[in-house]
Amino acid sequence: MARKWTRYPKRTFYAFVAPWALGFLLLTAAPMVYGFLVSLTNFDGSSPRYKWVGLNNYIELFGDPDMWAALARTLAFTVIVVPLTVGGSLGLAVIINRRLRAVGLWRTVFFLPSVVPVVAMAIMWKLVFNKDSGILNAILGVAGIPPVAWLIDPVVFYSLIIVMLWGLGGGMIIMLAALQGVPVELEEAARIDGAGRWAVFRHVTIPMISPILFFQIVTGVIVALQVFVQPLLLTNSAGISTVGGVPESTTLYMVQVYQEFFLSNRFGYGSAMLWVFFLIILGLTLILLRSSRSWVYYEVDTDAEREGAAR
Amino acid sequence: MTTRASLIRRGAIVLGAFVTTSALLAGCTGGGSGGGSGETTLDVMVGAQDLSDEQIAEFEADNPGIKINVVLYDATRLNTMLAAGDPPDITFGNAVGSANFNARGLAADLTPYLKDSNVLKEDDLQPVNDAFRWDGTKSGDGPIYGIVKDWSQDNALWYNTALFDAAGVPYLSDTEAISYDELLEIAKKLAVVEGGTTTVYGLGMEWQWSLYGPIAAMVAQQGESLFNDDLTKVDFTTPAAQRALQWFVDYGKSGAGPTSLNPLPDGSDFSTFAAERMAITQDGYWFGGNFAGDDALQTVRFAPAPTMGDTPVAMSFGGAGLWIPEQAKHKDAAWKFMEYFMAGPPAEARASSGWGLPSLKSLADKLPQELPYQQQAYQVVQGQLEHTVPLPDSPYIGAGLLQDTIDKYLQQAIKGEVSVQDAGAKLTDELNEALAQGVDQVG
Repeated sequence: MARKWTRYPKRTFYAFVAPWALGFLLLTAAPMVYGFLVSLTNFDGSSPRYKWVGLNNYIELFGDPDMWAALARTLAFTVIVVPLTVGGSLGLAVIINRRLRAVGLWRTVFFLPSVVPVVAMAIMWKLVFNKDSGILNAILGVAGIPPVAWLIDPVVFYSLIIVMLWGLGGGMIIMLAALQGVPVELEEAARIDGAGRWAVFRHVTIPMISPILFFQIVTGVIVALQVFVQPLLLTNSAGISTVGGVPESTTLYMVQVYQEFFLSNRFGYGSAMLWVFFLIILGLTLILLRSSRSWVYYEVDTDAEREGAAR
Repeated sequence: MTTRASLIRRGAIVLGAFVTTSALLAGCTGGGSGGGSGETTLDVMVGAQDLSDEQIAEFEADNPGIKINVVLYDATRLNTMLAAGDPPDITFGNAVGSANFNARGLAADLTPYLKDSNVLKEDDLQPVNDAFRWDGTKSGDGPIYGIVKDWSQDNALWYNTALFDAAGVPYLSDTEAISYDELLEIAKKLAVVEGGTTTVYGLGMEWQWSLYGPIAAMVAQQGESLFNDDLTKVDFTTPAAQRALQWFVDYGKSGAGPTSLNPLPDGSDFSTFAAERMAITQDGYWFGGNFAGDDALQTVRFAPAPTMGDTPVAMSFGGAGLWIPEQAKHKDAAWKFMEYFMAGPPAEARASSGWGLPSLKSLADKLPQELPYQQQAYQVVQGQLEHTVPLPDSPYIGAGLLQDTIDKYLQQAIKGEVSVQDAGAKLTDELNEALAQGVDQVG
């Protein structure tokens, strides 16, 4: 073995790593440990009178029909939203990746909605979806369709999906960057070999951008699972904080958690829900990472790299 | 161009940014004493309309050394501030519903302050303030933990005579209470639906404010109670409670008024009622304070609380007031504000505008009687006083959870997913579970 390769003193290394390490310890690790400790109590958030209850919160969790319903709803929501978002943003990117007139304008128009702050966007949609005076029902009315209660069970679930898709532009920009990184000579070669448009897209473009697709799917899943503020903002009520008024079909997992914390004042139970959810997300992410080996193509050979690292 | 000077300059900028950010963060935590001049900053958490700029200026002029910082009331925000151990110095709260806060030891005992006060006197307090009392096991007796600013019998009715005329429905009696069944029939007649869109609602129940209140009153009118004696258990399966739930389900199914399945965009009846798009609303005397202006709706009348049984029962569902958190940093200054707000000019202004009944006996004669509708409402409200009883307030459950659990099962029953009987049974089970947790917590 060669002697250790050093150029700078150790303390330089630690000094540079310290901001991240401190941030991680104070802002991530400490709250997680604190949350775990709280999940072992019946703490109500404010009263000094609380007790240790061991794993009772976790035991209760497994028999809580509201929790299971919210979890199932959230998974269904994710299964619908993630493919639509990834596919939709890829579709938009393909459209504006061509030589169009005023392509800059189109890019801006598609991207604009994802720059609008989420609160403003939700309020806008709330007005659009209003049953009696919203523009959507007015348009449907012209076609002779009776008014739809967009913000109420069970339609509100689909309204929420529409709102989520409104932000496609953010993903589109990333997809566009990926598409422009696909070497033209590969596509050209495929075309010379007789491949049609679809075959080129399916067998050259998609594999070349698969790392970006993978990234979009992983982050999309994590974001979709944690969706919280949109259901709250779409709720037909006076304030933002009236979490109890969220319709059943948009009571996603995080909304349920928020209700446990700030409606029922059950900080202990809410923390237990969060820990379980953390493990679920971690598990899903690991499964996705594992699956990526079979369909994500990296130009650098990751296997060789891994072996190199192990050596 | 990485010269030494530019590196130092960059370092200075980073340092400067860091210092500024820390200062901002420190500012955010607020609540402490401001400056070094011995000045106190009093964090007052109230609703947007509770305190005017003139009143703040007046209070600050009367009390040099105290500056008021208004924090807008929001139940969740209060919860997080309490959780962080940095609550406002004085905050809004309903008398009914204070039992849960008091049982958790969150409010400061005001009895000693009341004893020493020259302005607020214990024997001047109307009985409605007793809902802020807590003797360690139940509310209604013992030390007092808050003062009511105004109150009403909240299950009374306000109605728009113009819409009654248009539908050919006779006015409600000023003295005889209408039955709930009759009320629903009238509401259906008054509702106007055009092409799937409701243009006029027959009856608003302030659905998003309180379901527990009206249901508890309906049960009390049948001579029973939703809660057991020590408020540790609830029962929605009794015939009296079932009848009340059934009424709400019938009301929801009829489409005669807003529910959570068909909510008003702003979550309360007032704007719809004022726009002449709602004929009747279940609201207390305070609601009439909205119509004193020259350009306000003129065709309003007040009617006694409807009944579901033989016992006439009028109830305050809230009793809005102020309380001082146990962890407040400036309790003495907070008490000065309490005196000003409850017995000073703001209290007189509230009483004489008709915005609720005053919580002090000495203000009782201030109620407005100039306009015809004010005289009519005054007569009705006097007739209601003898029937007024307190709403049961369990210390083992928060008002929000109670409201939302009832709402959840009423919605299911209105949609036809469960029968009223099953809804009552599930409601009972779920609330009793929460109550048992509450007993375990504070008991």
